[in-house]
Amino acid sequence: MHLAWLYAGVILQGAVVTLELTVVSTVLSFILGIFGALGRIYGPPWLRTAILAYVELIRGLPPILQLFIIFFGLTQFGIDLPPFTAAMIWLVIYGTGYAIEVFRAGIQAVADGQREAATAVGMGFLSTLRKVVMPQAFVLMLPPLTNFVIIQLKNTTLVYFIGVADIMYQAQLGADATEQPGTLYALAAVAYLIMNGTLSRIAAHLERKAAAYR
Amino acid sequence: MSNDVAVDVRGLSKHFGDRVIFKDVSLQVRKSEVVAIIGPSGVGKSTFIRCINYLHPFDEGSITVLGHELHGTASGGPPPTRAQLREIRTHVGMVFQTFNLFQHLSVLENIVLGPMDVKKVPRAQAVERAMGLLEMMGLTARANMYPRRLSGGEQQRVAICRALAMDPQIMLFDEPTSMLDPELVGDVLEAIQRLAQEGMTMILVTHEMMFAKEVADTVVVMADNTIAEMGPARQILEAPRTLRAQNFLARVLRRNADEEARLTAMGGDEG
Repeated sequence: MHLAWLYAGVILQGAVVTLELTVVSTVLSFILGIFGALGRIYGPPWLRTAILAYVELIRGLPPILQLFIIFFGLTQFGIDLPPFTAAMIWLVIYGTGYAIEVFRAGIQAVADGQREAATAVGMGFLSTLRKVVMPQAFVLMLPPLTNFVIIQLKNTTLVYFIGVADIMYQAQLGADATEQPGTLYALAAVAYLIMNGTLSRIAAHLERKAAAYR
Repeated sequence: MSNDVAVDVRGLSKHFGDRVIFKDVSLQVRKSEVVAIIGPSGVGKSTFIRCINYLHPFDEGSITVLGHELHGTASGGPPPTRAQLREIRTHVGMVFQTFNLFQHLSVLENIVLGPMDVKKVPRAQAVERAMGLLEMMGLTARANMYPRRLSGGEQQRVAICRALAMDPQIMLFDEPTSMLDPELVGDVLEAIQRLAQEGMTMILVTHEMMFAKEVADTVVVMADNTIAEMGPARQILEAPRTLRAQNFLARVLRRNADEEARLTAMGGDEG
């Protein structure tokens, strides 16, 4: 128990890094994901094909391979990224691939009649999207988006392999130093559970609020 | 074209792929005229009225709506500009078979969205107008509810309010009562009839023959992907001249008679 207290501070430092990676990459992935989804649905054929190819590429390659390509692979071309930057770039690239699909499904799940009604009163494409389609799509997407954030948070553990000091990294460091891996991993587990539990609570709250009209 | 004409449709044709939806449809609607379009399912009635506010583009022919000309995509005319479409849609209201109220907005917000977004009407003014329309429909108490809490009949009357809030000069109705339970049809028809009496120009696709006879000035029978016959409502519904119109009306009348017979029989069983 004494050991756990000793290392709680270090794990907390790791948690800050994990949180930073998750939050920033999620926000960027969502923004890029929305544009990607719109391009995929409404864009010209070449753009639709390009976005589809991107999604297939991201989905088709193992996460660790993608991370290694960005961090190690690019050095061969003179691009030597610091670990944290490489980790963030990978999380955004990876997250965007999945976010595009979530947003696409959400936007397409909004009934056509809703768009038609907005168009019929004279609303333009962007107004219709912003005031009619997206608010409804977000409610439909809440469960998959929650899932997305939780998975993304867990994905951050992979950055341990390129030496970013996240929770996993700190726990491993502690485990090696103390030779008590069980305690350190348990500590890490608690940190992840607290973060993901909080996310679930927030999502449940949002869903309850959004359910008012359903 | 005289100033009296609200909608002038000439030689309209539309395909989806190689399937003909309708061909060579011509129709003139005068201001304050009520035109009912009837006919069997799948002859393009709904698609046709969606061409009038350009929710659907069409291949050939032209439509002049309140002085704005729309051309078929295959007939070489310039495509409508965004400003033109906004202008047309502002003046042409539409009510749908499935109501299509914005599910995430309250009844009141459904009605003020169009005027505020498209016509930049100040909120207070839009709300006042919306409340006036809701009062006219007897729906004041529903203003802050979400659409799905309302009955189908109420939803459809809200949809009419939403269209009227734009102060349209023409109203399009696409089978406004066919998704409603029979006991809810009356309120909606009453609302439409009131609009007709106030002199609103209306084009409505409907299966309510009695209503068409009562409210419409002109009845158009669409069959086999074109207009089979059109003329004064009473004449078309009581003494159609073309075989296709006769066939359609005979089928509808027989169905109505069957239904009545069935209802009578059911009443007999109970008694």
